[in-house]
Amino acid sequence: MGIQEQYRNEAAELLSSGAVKLVIGYGEGSTSDRRRPVFIRSADETARLVLDANCIANLSGYLVPEGLLSDGKSVAVFLKPDGIRSVNILAAEAQVNPDQVVILGFDIDGGQASPLPGRKATDFAPLIESQKSTGLSTELQQEADQLELMSATDRFEYWNQQFSKCIKCYACRQVCPMCYCRRCIVDVNQPQWVNTSSHTLGNFEWNIVRAFHLAGRCVACGGCDRACPVNIPLRLINHRMSKEALDAFDHFAGESADQKPVLATFRQDDPETFIL
Amino acid sequence: MTRILLHTRLDDCLAAWRASGYSVLAPSKSHELTRFNEVQHASDMALDLVLPERTIKDHFFPQTEPLIRYRIKKHEIDTEEMVPPELKRIFFGVRPCDASGLAIDDPLFGWDYKDEYWFRRRGNSVIVTIACTSADDFCMCTSVQLSPDSTKGSDVMLTPLKDGRGWQVLALTDRGNALLETIPSILQESDAEPAPPASVPVKFDIDKVTAWLADPASFESHFWKEISQRCIGCASCTFLCPTCHCFDIQDEGDTYSGIRRKNWDSCSFAMFTMHTSGHNPRNTQSTRWRQRIMHKFNYYRGKFDVNSCSGCGRCTRQCPVDMGITETLQSISNLPR
Amino acid sequence: MIYNPFPMRVVSKRDEAPGVRTLRLEFVKQEDHDYFSTNYRTGMFGLYGIFGEGESTFCVASPETRKEYIECTFRQSGRVTTTLANADAGDIVTFRGPYGNRFPIEEFEGKNLLFIAGGIALPPTRSVIWSCLDQREKFGNVTIVYGARTVADLVYKDELDEWKRRDDVNLVLTVDPGGETPDWQDHVGFVPSVLEKVAPSPDNTIAVLCGPPIMIKFTLNALEKLGFSAENVYTTLENRMKCGVGKCGRCNVGSVYICKEGPVFTAAEVQAMPQADL
Repeated sequence: MGIQEQYRNEAAELLSSGAVKLVIGYGEGSTSDRRRPVFIRSADETARLVLDANCIANLSGYLVPEGLLSDGKSVAVFLKPDGIRSVNILAAEAQVNPDQVVILGFDIDGGQASPLPGRKATDFAPLIESQKSTGLSTELQQEADQLELMSATDRFEYWNQQFSKCIKCYACRQVCPMCYCRRCIVDVNQPQWVNTSSHTLGNFEWNIVRAFHLAGRCVACGGCDRACPVNIPLRLINHRMSKEALDAFDHFAGESADQKPVLATFRQDDPETFIL
Repeated sequence: MTRILLHTRLDDCLAAWRASGYSVLAPSKSHELTRFNEVQHASDMALDLVLPERTIKDHFFPQTEPLIRYRIKKHEIDTEEMVPPELKRIFFGVRPCDASGLAIDDPLFGWDYKDEYWFRRRGNSVIVTIACTSADDFCMCTSVQLSPDSTKGSDVMLTPLKDGRGWQVLALTDRGNALLETIPSILQESDAEPAPPASVPVKFDIDKVTAWLADPASFESHFWKEISQRCIGCASCTFLCPTCHCFDIQDEGDTYSGIRRKNWDSCSFAMFTMHTSGHNPRNTQSTRWRQRIMHKFNYYRGKFDVNSCSGCGRCTRQCPVDMGITETLQSISNLPR
Repeated sequence: MIYNPFPMRVVSKRDEAPGVRTLRLEFVKQEDHDYFSTNYRTGMFGLYGIFGEGESTFCVASPETRKEYIECTFRQSGRVTTTLANADAGDIVTFRGPYGNRFPIEEFEGKNLLFIAGGIALPPTRSVIWSCLDQREKFGNVTIVYGARTVADLVYKDELDEWKRRDDVNLVLTVDPGGETPDWQDHVGFVPSVLEKVAPSPDNTIAVLCGPPIMIKFTLNALEKLGFSAENVYTTLENRMKCGVGKCGRCNVGSVYICKEGPVFTAAEVQAMPQADL
């Protein structure tokens, strides 16, 4: 039995037994290589679920909308390790009760989706621990190294060009499971902290605010990077912040539901490299 | 016999146009993004794209546009209107859907109160369109009563030649004729055959769709909730749309001076219609998606007798969660009745 | 050009109720005043602004019979209204308009008029009231039913006194239960029930109704019970607006652009709109 059939069956069982009220998974998309989020509420709809190597989106953001979990019932969701880490962060930040989340975990390797054992976020702790010890993506690091080789002026010019493309569609924000604020700082106008205009300066403001807000919270799911309609390499910004958090504070986002937010925690042995 | 323009003469063409005072913008790739940039040489152009990622709308209705510069003094305010220049511009290599988008928006910016910011930019711009001979999975012009070779909104139509050496050239407007008069020796007469237009399958029955939308009972249909369940509420579909035209007006500056700006805004955002009291007439994503579809295929049509959609398909092509107009209208046209 | 507002000088300001203020504005430039005088009719709205903060939409609260100035009455709630509320005499603010449609008061001639307003919605009603009272002889009986949450929340208190004293106006005041003061002599109760108690005749009568959505809903029911036809009841709608001229795309209710086809509608027209979009 392939993973797709296995998980369809499991979803059907979860729904028909009443263990969960909803399964958030992937379905066929508008082209053969596209998958789209689907919301399955009854066992007879589970044939719509698809699970293969094209299922790359992090669906954990769909757990956050107001009211979904307020009835105490559980929801099952298809998640890769990055999404499981997101659930840990959402739990640590009191946005979801992890006991209400049944994880249909899977990973993609060599063009194939394979099941991950475990159904609760805590079951995946060893997996996440091993990911931490492997470190951040070497692929991203290589890309980031290219930027580090540039002079400061050239690097600024690079980001200047990238950010000048931004149209403030906020796809990066909306697709991110971590961007759950009911009213984003950029939508506050008393006072107007951030200008709403999408000129280069305004775009810098938004992208820098975003980068800092995600420091130590981004799990590198790549959702923002893929969502960006003007191809700003947001992955590199996020990666840089993740690397800072890991190097300076040994903080790997989403290790567990007990993890303290890196920018809201003080430890006696925190590095103080900024004090000259 | 028709007039043709050979690829090999395109650089001469550009030189002649520049000599006549035009700047030429064409699809090109810069900083990993395909969009209309000013070009100097034919080799800068990316004319083989199905569509650039960004539309030409950006050059008529920019994402942020300064309206008024102000300086605040005691009991006095100095203001200066920031009038956009009437640039002589040629948009070369526009696709028929994007060109149509401009024509679709003209009545909106012109009804009753005329938006000079749009029309000053429209006034001296010449739209040179290249008919599509290829399409991708997302193209849907034929579903909204347009076509890969439709001339709507264009001043000059170029139809690729079958032999791939150039284009058949046809002026459609006075502005187009005037443009061709600047390059008489570059064009030549030929009986070379044009390539057939791209085949773009019809994806939904627009008449069925608009009839359903016009039925008052459809407004509160459960359909809207189902179809928009996965919508994340970003503005990528609206901002990449060649016809979406909604905007905000914002002041930006310090205590004493600044600029009032017209900024793109989107019906996808919750803040778009939020009252100061906190009441929001469209307070869920499904009501906002309904607004977008209704606006394009019901309200706009009722006011201006045209759908506010030119079938470019960018909304689906770029959607982070694979939504878009096509799926919604397909589902509507497949609804049992 | 299209989005350039008229500079206006604040002539005076008046506190109406807690958080509610009226500004009287005069045109700085004669040509702007001429444009306004030519175009303004009661019911129209404008965008009032302060450079550096933005613009906010509300009605012209002064009548079409008094065009030397513009009065606006607003509750201090957002960024723009807070700054407007802090403007002093002599300060420059801005006005863009007048926009929208109007109350067709010439069609009201020879008829009885029933004005009904709740809370901060007296300003648009007051514009029509004075537009009619300033040519009093053209209309039949005039009844004004006005209610607010508390006595303190009643706006235009001086004018209420004046209407009370006039024998050609029948003023009915009410406050919500619990909102009365010990010396309150008028009604206590919600506008719809007070209206039913007063029971104005629907014969040859036009009703003008402005108030918060919930009050409108129940008052329309009361008017229907009293025998008013929806075609003879006028009301105003408001929505968030940015341009005021049918372009920015947010104020529509269904296919109806409030800024161009409104803000004045008959109850029949409002009932024909998709109610879920209000």
